[in-house]
Amino acid sequence: MENQNGYEPKIVAFLCNWCTYTGADLAGTSRLQYPPNVRVIRTMCSGAVDPVYVLKPLIDGVDGILIGGCHPGDCHYQTGNYKTRRRYVALHEILKASGFDERRVWLRWISASEGQKFAETITEMVTAMKELGPNPLREAWAV
Amino acid sequence: MIGIIPVNNGDPLAAIQDFLKRLLESGAVEALYVPLQVAGGTVAPALVSDASRLSQANPLAPLMPINGARAVSAITGKKPTARLGVVLRSCEIRALYELVKLQQASLEGVTVIGLDCPGTYELPDFNALGRKNGSMLIEYLAAARGGRTPTFEGISLRPACQMCVLPTPEHVDIAIHLFGVDVQKGIPVVLDEALAERLSLAPATTEQVSGHQEVVERLVAGRTQERQKTLSDIRSHLASNGSIAGLFTECIRCHNCMTVCPICYCKTCLFRTAAFDHPPEHYLLAAHQKGAVRMMGDTLLFHMTRLNHMSASCVSCGMCTSACPVEIPVGAIFSAIGEQVDQAFNYVPGRDLLEPLPLVTFQANEWTEIGEAR
Repeated sequence: MENQNGYEPKIVAFLCNWCTYTGADLAGTSRLQYPPNVRVIRTMCSGAVDPVYVLKPLIDGVDGILIGGCHPGDCHYQTGNYKTRRRYVALHEILKASGFDERRVWLRWISASEGQKFAETITEMVTAMKELGPNPLREAWAV
Repeated sequence: MIGIIPVNNGDPLAAIQDFLKRLLESGAVEALYVPLQVAGGTVAPALVSDASRLSQANPLAPLMPINGARAVSAITGKKPTARLGVVLRSCEIRALYELVKLQQASLEGVTVIGLDCPGTYELPDFNALGRKNGSMLIEYLAAARGGRTPTFEGISLRPACQMCVLPTPEHVDIAIHLFGVDVQKGIPVVLDEALAERLSLAPATTEQVSGHQEVVERLVAGRTQERQKTLSDIRSHLASNGSIAGLFTECIRCHNCMTVCPICYCKTCLFRTAAFDHPPEHYLLAAHQKGAVRMMGDTLLFHMTRLNHMSASCVSCGMCTSACPVEIPVGAIFSAIGEQVDQAFNYVPGRDLLEPLPLVTFQANEWTEIGEAR
């Protein structure tokens, strides 16, 4: 999994059961190719992704974190993803203000029918994380 | 209207005590939350139902042992048990309004009595001052009158008070003025007419209230400068130290900041549950991953989680800084970060009960660019 520079980003993805997780499943059953850098965790809703779930891997040194949810208006629980969006805005502000690189945390709306979009998103994210380089917290022990 | 609390025999504290007694005796309130003097010269917040106890009341003591919002939360809960009066400083009032929005306190049947606040001292400083100077009241009220920081030799206000930009109570039922006030001529008090009549207060003259506005503006201008300077210092640390981690390296994880925070209301904090009781192998694995691991772990995660939970509602009361045994400027760090979060949502913590908390509300058509490929 290592490229010539020896750096392959690690990405943790929290995917909502109803849309993005099913979209990822579709990408698989459609035999779409995307980089194997992502570890997927299924959640019942993107609104169920407590920002602590994002902070923990980020502080432990994971390079990128993706939250995937249904498109606005399509939430299985009516409004979960609208709340996700506000939490994401707050989290981004906190990360920015605290001196973290907020570009490591992504939120994407990917529906169950968008297998292609899921594969593209992972490809795009891996490229972007390679450009950012390793998460400096990967080496930081005193946290 | 603005009424006047008469001051007799040059004793403003007795005048305030008398005003509070009248509130209780007139039946306007059944009990009062107010600091009482205790033996040894210090004050402790109390819930008072017997008016005779109010001869010990001292809301003018420059000390804030706890943020009173926590106490009001405890005595009101979801439903108040009685008609209560609560005597609070501005930062306590703002914290209380945040707790009401978080459904941790109720204002139903509660009369909020706010006082202008020139600032407070750390508890040990306050005690040392009291032993040395006796009463601090004269200098404290003179400072309020002049819109300046009280000066006592060798002692400074709590860091949060030095940069407090909201020293006057807002959206309260009764506001007691101290800024710009010559207390010998009576203490102006803003309240509704029916209550003024019930307490038989005479209206204030123009001369008695004319100085207030200008003095507040001058004080706030100075404190705003101080706040900007302090927060920009913190921000340059945040940028240069390789993130917030550098500011919390000395943290001993006592959790005092969380314990004293008026906004941190969770009955059981995540960090006091078994969630972070890792098995021994976990630490060894973490050590292998990074070459070394800090013991006990998750210090930064604790502070980041707290930021995530309460920074949007942080009222800059600075109780966290006062409680920190290793002198980390927790309050300034949280204020610096919280201010940026609040700007994103155009939110001011504790300003107005009608403003919804940023994270419990949403609009369908906001931040529509988020979630789509750039």
